[in-house]
Amino acid sequence: MKKILFIGLCIVLIGCKNPSSTSEKLNVVTTTTMITDLVKNIGGDAIEINGLMGAGVDPHLFKASEGDVSKLYHADVIFYNGLHLEGKLVEVFEKMESQQKKTIALGEQLDKDGLIGSDYFASNYDPHVWFNIQYFKEFANTVTQVLSEEDPKNSELFVANNNLFQKKLTDLETEVKAIIETLPQEKRILVTAHDAFNYFGKEYGFNVVGLQGLSTATEAGVQDVQKLSDFIIENKVKAIFIESSVPRRTIEALQQAVLSKNHEVIIGGSLFSDALGDANTVEGTYIGMFLYNVTTIVNALK
Amino acid sequence: MTNPQIEIQLIGVVVAMACAIPGVFLVLRKMSLISDAISHSILPGIVIGFFITQDLNSPLLILLAALTGVITVVLVEVIQKTGLVKEDTAIGLVFPSLFSIGVILIAKNANDVHLDVDAVLLGELAFAPFDRLFISGMDMGPKSLWVMGIILIITILLLFLFFKELKVSTFDKGLSAALGFSPFVMHYGLMSVSSITVVGAFDAVGAILVVAFMIAPAATAYLLTANLKKMLLLSILFGAFSAISGYWLAHILDASISGSMTTVLGLLFFGVYLFAPNKGLLSVLYRQKQQRTEVSLITFLLHLNNHSEENERHINHLNEHINWQKVRSKTVVDLALKNNMISISNNIVSLTEKGKEFTNLALKYIMTNKDEKIEYMKDDFFLFRG
Repeated sequence: MKKILFIGLCIVLIGCKNPSSTSEKLNVVTTTTMITDLVKNIGGDAIEINGLMGAGVDPHLFKASEGDVSKLYHADVIFYNGLHLEGKLVEVFEKMESQQKKTIALGEQLDKDGLIGSDYFASNYDPHVWFNIQYFKEFANTVTQVLSEEDPKNSELFVANNNLFQKKLTDLETEVKAIIETLPQEKRILVTAHDAFNYFGKEYGFNVVGLQGLSTATEAGVQDVQKLSDFIIENKVKAIFIESSVPRRTIEALQQAVLSKNHEVIIGGSLFSDALGDANTVEGTYIGMFLYNVTTIVNALK
Repeated sequence: MTNPQIEIQLIGVVVAMACAIPGVFLVLRKMSLISDAISHSILPGIVIGFFITQDLNSPLLILLAALTGVITVVLVEVIQKTGLVKEDTAIGLVFPSLFSIGVILIAKNANDVHLDVDAVLLGELAFAPFDRLFISGMDMGPKSLWVMGIILIITILLLFLFFKELKVSTFDKGLSAALGFSPFVMHYGLMSVSSITVVGAFDAVGAILVVAFMIAPAATAYLLTANLKKMLLLSILFGAFSAISGYWLAHILDASISGSMTTVLGLLFFGVYLFAPNKGLLSVLYRQKQQRTEVSLITFLLHLNNHSEENERHINHLNEHINWQKVRSKTVVDLALKNNMISISNNIVSLTEKGKEFTNLALKYIMTNKDEKIEYMKDDFFLFRG
């Protein structure tokens, strides 16, 4: 028994190294990969950025690891999406806010009138706001403002970076519009696994149908699949899409249902919805991800 | 170490200790599953509490949840007393019913509130340091540390006050009733404490870890001792050890904290199961092998005792005569030699005085059907001890 105690003590003592604070930089923690990419664009090397969620993580189901605790503890500023996207984490951030820690829910700063309300929860909104580039620009402005307040000596850099980023986003908007123009209005029907693309559809005139969004339960029922397959045939939809953070099983079931009625439908590709692609790839940035999604959608539906 | 690191370990240790104490009694009463049952059946209590207070952080929720826990136990008792089903079946009947009542209540009346099963059921140890208690602006530390600390102190107090009663009513219900303290009161007292502990710990560290902290340390300690006091101490020690080392495992792997703690608990049980001195797998296997050798030895000695003919006692013919494999006969002959029970001259084996005495005693016990006495005899003759 003494031995066990001794070993336990050793483990504790070995572990007791103080995490050295590496720099005097502002320590910023972000949640989703989209926000991480955004803050990187504004803050550059002037701040220390720690993203909690990796590529392909479903923000609703995020589980914290031991490392995340110290990331949160050492954070000077925390940026998160809010609007209940991060599940239980949102509660934690709200509690931290009351403890003089700067936590910013970027989604909550938006004008609520423009947001898409949820059918089931009166006071809740669809949290996938980043699929409207306009909202993402507002995110960037908020981030710039907060960073400048927290780190005034670098504020000029943040503003300059933001101007550059805003210009890039405007370019992205023009490019996306140009690509979507090539797709006739009647072909703009987007069928995906769950309803992450409502803001995208609203902005570019797509009729967005999410398989799981159709039913009130979280799992798609047999009836939903049948209804949606009829819808696909009726509207001569050419392609349906998988999402990176949702299992492909349900969409494949839908494809089989359509094929069994002698109608051709292909799986148009995998779209990024709740998370960006792997870091170091083009799809690992917000702009790259958006372009990839749009080209995938348009090419498949043409 | 940073503050949240110390705090998470402290909370882990306090929860482990608070769970280990009722856990020991649950394991001894063969009711360990009740902690899992309570962790689910409290849902309707929480939901009704929320309907009354409209506040997820109200202490009334914890009280009502604990009350539902006690109701669970009462229902299990009632169903079990009918004699129609066994205890585990009764538990299996009660807690899903209560849990689903809670789910239906949420679905019917609280669908537009953030009161889904996840939000109510899953505390997360990793975030516990960020939920702090402030008294007039002063930071008093994490809230769950206070809640669990108070529960732990109450549990320890009750344990000291009622240790004798608990002990007797756990091991001998009849005697307990005869001595004048009703096993009924003890039973529900214990269940109420367990229920409150489960609910509090649930909020602090989440469901799986609570069940693990209740059962695993007690089950591990039970392998090592049958003494109640030692068992309590050992389970507290095992729980605390797993909490701390589990935390550092999570630190090294950068993994989920409660997941790592549960893993350590499992590994600890497995290790003790293998290596425990009496009940451990290895010592059981060793003992079985010893017993086989002892039986062989007695057979061998009886054979020698029965046969005065030299050809029956030739060392090289033992295999044929007693039907042993060569290796085994060598072990047995060596053991007998080592204990000075036989002597070998010209390859002929004969019993010594001590051997004769041993054989006669064994014979006597076998004839009179007092087999159990052979065990003591082995001790008297120093078998297996150089």
